[in-house]
Amino acid sequence: MKGSNIKTIAKKDLASLASERTIVLAIALQLFVAIFSSFLMVGLTSIYDPSSLSHIGGVQYPVAYCGNDSPLRTYLNESTDFHLYQMDLSTAVAALKERKLSAVIFVSETLPNDKDPVKVTLYTIKNDIQASIVQVKLKDILISYETDLRRVRASRLDQTPVPLTMPHTRSGSTFYEFLYGLLIPLLVFMPAIVSAALVIDFITEEYQQGTLEVLLTTPVSRAEVVWGKVLACTVLVPVQAGAWLLLLMVNRIPILNAPLILIHATAYALVLILIAAFCALHYRERTAAQFIYSTAIVVLLLFSLAFPENPLNALVRLATGSAGPGQWVLLGLSLACIALMSTVLTWYAELAVGEAGGR
Amino acid sequence: MGCARDLLLIARWEVKRAAGTMTRDILPLAVVLFILLVLVTGFSATRGIHLQDGMYRAGIDDPALMAVIGSDSRFVVDLSDPAYLTTHMVDYDLVIIAGRATGTRTDRSRAALLTLKRDYDRYSNLFYARQQDLFAAYPLWVDLQEVKSELSFLATQQGERAASLTPSDEPPVPEVAVEILPDPPSAIGISEESLREGLTEAAGQDSQIARYTDVIGPGSSLGTFRTPSQLSPPLPFDSIVLIFVFIFPLYFTSQFYMMSIMHERIGRQGEPLLTTPISPSAIVLGKALPYLVGMIAISAGIAAWIQTPPIVLLPLIPVILFFLGNALLIGMVARSFKELSFLSIFFSTIATSYLFFPSVFANVHVVSLVSPLTLIVLTLQGTPFTPSEYLFSTSLFFLTSLVLFYTGVKNYHEERLFSQVRLIPKIREVVSGIIPLAHPYAALFLIAALTIPFVFMVQLMLLVVLFNLPMPLSLLLLLIAGALVEEVAKSIGIVTLISESREKLPWRSVVFGAGATAVGFLLGEKLLLFATLSQISESIFGSVLFLSLGALWPPLILHFVCVLVVAAVVRAKGISWYVPGIILATAVHCLYNLTFVLGWLK
Repeated sequence: MKGSNIKTIAKKDLASLASERTIVLAIALQLFVAIFSSFLMVGLTSIYDPSSLSHIGGVQYPVAYCGNDSPLRTYLNESTDFHLYQMDLSTAVAALKERKLSAVIFVSETLPNDKDPVKVTLYTIKNDIQASIVQVKLKDILISYETDLRRVRASRLDQTPVPLTMPHTRSGSTFYEFLYGLLIPLLVFMPAIVSAALVIDFITEEYQQGTLEVLLTTPVSRAEVVWGKVLACTVLVPVQAGAWLLLLMVNRIPILNAPLILIHATAYALVLILIAAFCALHYRERTAAQFIYSTAIVVLLLFSLAFPENPLNALVRLATGSAGPGQWVLLGLSLACIALMSTVLTWYAELAVGEAGGR
Repeated sequence: MGCARDLLLIARWEVKRAAGTMTRDILPLAVVLFILLVLVTGFSATRGIHLQDGMYRAGIDDPALMAVIGSDSRFVVDLSDPAYLTTHMVDYDLVIIAGRATGTRTDRSRAALLTLKRDYDRYSNLFYARQQDLFAAYPLWVDLQEVKSELSFLATQQGERAASLTPSDEPPVPEVAVEILPDPPSAIGISEESLREGLTEAAGQDSQIARYTDVIGPGSSLGTFRTPSQLSPPLPFDSIVLIFVFIFPLYFTSQFYMMSIMHERIGRQGEPLLTTPISPSAIVLGKALPYLVGMIAISAGIAAWIQTPPIVLLPLIPVILFFLGNALLIGMVARSFKELSFLSIFFSTIATSYLFFPSVFANVHVVSLVSPLTLIVLTLQGTPFTPSEYLFSTSLFFLTSLVLFYTGVKNYHEERLFSQVRLIPKIREVVSGIIPLAHPYAALFLIAALTIPFVFMVQLMLLVVLFNLPMPLSLLLLLIAGALVEEVAKSIGIVTLISESREKLPWRSVVFGAGATAVGFLLGEKLLLFATLSQISESIFGSVLFLSLGALWPPLILHFVCVLVVAAVVRAKGISWYVPGIILATAVHCLYNLTFVLGWLK
């Protein structure tokens, strides 16, 4: 095998990719996924916790209090989120239906130390965002009341839970785990999956369009053709994944070990690309090869995710800077896999392409 | 009659062809992979997904705390003596000494503390649920009663709160006669045992989504009853996972149709069929028929398997048609396999977001009805959907599929199928395929009307994405994005006409073309709004997206002016000036909306 021949094939395929400009679509797609999922997270949080967006603070939700007097009433009165009215239940619910109130609370007459639980009936408007916000705001107040009642009834408990007090610092961001634990591995891994699907297209196209015979009349060997395509697809991985990491870092999301992440991503991608290349060489037809490849990838991914220290987990831990020595084992394993599969692929390419030439 | 016979004939051939390619040695491997898939799904479901293992490092001094965080694989936990932990604080994201948690100042540490807090809540819930005296452990129960109001979408979205911003001191007085409501009883009316069961179940649920946010929780299994900590808007997580099961096979099957269309084009293999008197519509629909039947059969099989009422198939049918319609066009325009892959991945991602994200809001907001999948979620939850809801969420899918198939059939001829041109010119060609040279104005009118369902789809998607941002920002973004989408849609026909015509289109035709487009667009918009979307169109979001039903002349003039701006720029300066033209038209459109709809510039 000659390196220069492989390079020529790779260049040819990359050029065809560039001239079609559809690669732009692939990148736009990933951007779309990223934007959409972040939008959803930000959106959900701001719906339910409008105070996270400071200028919406200071809203008072009108709430009616009915039924028996209880400490809950005091809590609600003290809260800056609610404006409390003492009302008769029927009138209050009628006003709620006309959206003149955000919620109606009715408290049962159960005594704090009763055998039975205190029952709070909470009326809200069905299918309404504001009802959801009010619920979230009421939740904290109701939890304080629950804690009070638990204290009153503490003597009736068999044991007490392990005590744990949390520090009074600014609480962490909900987005941290979403960002590092889901979005980053997804974005870094997506180029691998796309590239592997691409190698199938490259190889089966030569068969189905009948261009392979033309290619083989040049002094290029059969294995070189396949390796050129594998190379073209592999090169794309660190470029795409790197662009993502760069974009995130520009957005002030620190990513630790970026070069190492790219090495990992490229190694895993190569494993997938080689699997895809086998599929393509075996079936020589796009539908079949893509079908078998994508099913196999789903099986493989699900299987590996069932174990700790899987490739995606390694990406997460590298990005957060909490990777242990396990990542080196994983990288070593993938390299061994690649070495083995490469040898088989070179042999198989000559064999498979040879058959085709004979036909 | 003859057409139907042709159609069935083509369908039979298609089945035979597909079976021929499938048999070789795919079937055994596919079966093996399918069995593996089922096994692996079960395997990873029991073992859990280990994506975020070992993200955090925690140091504890008390082995009892293992009950709190020991089962959370996100933590690597070290048990050590307090003295060691105090001196090696920096090595950990959080340290718990004598029941007091402390962290460092890094983001990771803060996130770890948040996770710890959620773990502790979960632990306490499980702990309390095991107590002998359940009502000492859970002394407070909330009975959540939902009251139906008029369609609340409008009021909330107008930025109106239920009452004024600064509530008055006097309690509000209802306008209609008050219906006397009996006081709810003090007793809960559910046995202690079933309460305990429900609590244990809720605490045991390690919903993956719960990791990212605690504002949406799993639905309670205790009917309307919940403890204060369970008081979060429910996310229909299980139902959403279930609809994935429905949608996933549809992707694969539509891929086969896409490939089958592409196959006709490779090496002009479809040429003999085109020379027969069989009409293109019979070919296109005949080839689609086996896949349509197959997809419905698969869906019916899944519905039977998970034991849901077969009515869930109704919302799936427009989705299936939409997938097939897109598959047809992608198969017709893609030049190479790579392009086919990229286009299909691109399309399916967008379609998935359109279908899935709204259904997340299934129990929270009316906007969720934009997606037909919400109807499935509702059915799975036991609330049947009404015919008007069905119409609302599926009409756009039916209409767009119809347009896609129409475009496909009109272009299914030799010249279009076997030419190798770039993607954008190809799309332009496909559009020009429905412009007959004899009646260009009628065609422009038609194209403008046909784009309406797509425009609405994109705009509704924008609405889903943007409606949850804070109010002035969301409205402004929606205004600009909505105008941009409309201008692009309106310009498609006339710009195609200008750039595809051999000699320069006379200015008179440009003006008349713009007029025809404006009329077509307005008519289509009004018709569709009237038929389906009157709910949304009357809200303030609707008023910036869709023109209101009432006025006629101002919007017509607006459409005309905007189309003319783009057309004139392209006619004068060439196609490379398309983007500036669109930007200019969008600006005009936004100004119009700001002035007339919102009255901001008055």
